[in-house]
Amino acid sequence: MPIFHRPSLACLSIALLAAASQPALSAPAAGQLLASQCAQCHGTNGAGPGFDSIAGKDDLYHELLEMKYRSHIEGIMDRQARGYTDYQLRLISDYLSAQSGGGGDD
Amino acid sequence: MNTINRRHFLKLIGAASTLAAVPRAVRAAVAPRVVVVGGGFGGATVAKYLRMWGGDVHVTLVDANPSHISCILSNLVVTGSLSMSRITLGFDSLRTNHGVNVMQGRAVAIDAHGNTLTVSTSTGNQVLPYDHLVLSPGIDFMPAAGKWDPTRTPHAWQAGAQTTLLKNQLSAMRGNETFVMTVPKAPYRCPPGPYERACVVADYLKRKGRAGAKVIVLDANPGITAEPEAFNQAFKVTHAGWIEYYPNATVQSVDSTTRSIVTSAKTVNKARVLNYIPDQKAGAIVTSMGLADDPTGRWARVDPLTYGTLAHPNIHVIGDSCAVPASVGKAVPKSGHMANSEAKVCADAIIRSFTGDAPDEDIATSSACFSPITNKKASWLSTNFIYGDIVDAAGNVIGKGMNRVDIGEAPADGVDGDSLEDMFTWAESIFSDSYI
Repeated sequence: MPIFHRPSLACLSIALLAAASQPALSAPAAGQLLASQCAQCHGTNGAGPGFDSIAGKDDLYHELLEMKYRSHIEGIMDRQARGYTDYQLRLISDYLSAQSGGGGDD
Repeated sequence: MNTINRRHFLKLIGAASTLAAVPRAVRAAVAPRVVVVGGGFGGATVAKYLRMWGGDVHVTLVDANPSHISCILSNLVVTGSLSMSRITLGFDSLRTNHGVNVMQGRAVAIDAHGNTLTVSTSTGNQVLPYDHLVLSPGIDFMPAAGKWDPTRTPHAWQAGAQTTLLKNQLSAMRGNETFVMTVPKAPYRCPPGPYERACVVADYLKRKGRAGAKVIVLDANPGITAEPEAFNQAFKVTHAGWIEYYPNATVQSVDSTTRSIVTSAKTVNKARVLNYIPDQKAGAIVTSMGLADDPTGRWARVDPLTYGTLAHPNIHVIGDSCAVPASVGKAVPKSGHMANSEAKVCADAIIRSFTGDAPDEDIATSSACFSPITNKKASWLSTNFIYGDIVDAAGNVIGKGMNRVDIGEAPADGVDGDSLEDMFTWAESIFSDSYI
């Protein structure tokens, strides 16, 4: 830590200004970016228009796993589910389950 | 507290050395500015998501036209099944729902060191300062040998007036006449698109009773580049007698006046309609600024985590114009869906640069689409990429990039009316996700 107690004054002021300018911007929520890849077919934040509304849906994770590991491809989602790791599918499901269904996207 | 300060300090130093944007935003302590060039699926999506996710980020979208006319579904405008208004996507919702500043004009120059974009507008040149610049200009065409004039022989590979021209030429066709089209050498915009066009044009001629009319497909590639099962079936069975397909047809010369074309596989003189779709390259703003730095000199190499160019990390290229590092033989396709997908990765990375966070590495991109085979059925195509090691033809790791983890088309029993309905659901959804 001591090393970082002594940044130059210029660096310190940059850091302070950065902190001051940050409240409007925060690091993205986990799963937000991955889940946005569903929106081309399910609407922004999964709230339509599009195929099945997935915003606010519980247990999407197990449904996605079933699609991913189904041996016989039945539909396009069986392919799309193969495009993510199980962990990514978990992040996507958790993010979407916290979204309100059918609402706006702001 | 010390930990936090240390973290900020390191991030600032790290960010400052690579991104001009961060120090500028920090110095000014005002909302960071992002300028987006091109209002297609990539540009509209990145503008919307920057505003939706980025809060105070100031976003200006620059497009030469007052609205975007979608290539998605445009083959159905060629056949008269859909109206032009159905594929015309306005920018109003980006303004009103998301607070994007929309400017009509043509991007003419970038000052990569001064971080400004010059836009030619109806009221003169405007100079827009930016912290990040996102270029999503779509495609431009390689010059053809011979006398090529797209106002006589439309490509209709950028939708709008070209689409109308091809539609009018098709509807004027009579029986025993020939519609000749080319498939560009890959990579080109929308891999299944040319084959889809051949199908819907053949279907149109058949439905309109134009007996003896033919669609001649001259493919510069060694075989059908997308959905080979569906299109082979369509060419050989569904549209048998209406479509002639020639692979390995490298275009040698084109004459738009006589509607004639010479290729290495087949020459056609005086076609009734010549739909020459040329080979492609990145949009003019990318090539003219020297950003098309891939080995072919046609596309802009980008960092797959940010879509930043290698020369200027705060100048990003998304969509058709970029060359994403990928495994050999597993290229990232150029499509509206993929442009939307890349736009989100780019928006997220730009916001992270403002918050001092490193780009997310746990990212995925995808493309999915539906292709009409007749006016009663469609096929589909799906492909997915995850960031990680990419490999050469022998399987040796050549670096990091977007590695294709899945690709597939509709099984034979999935080429049906349900998929045609799904096509309209998908289109409504991606139009909305990108523009509303």
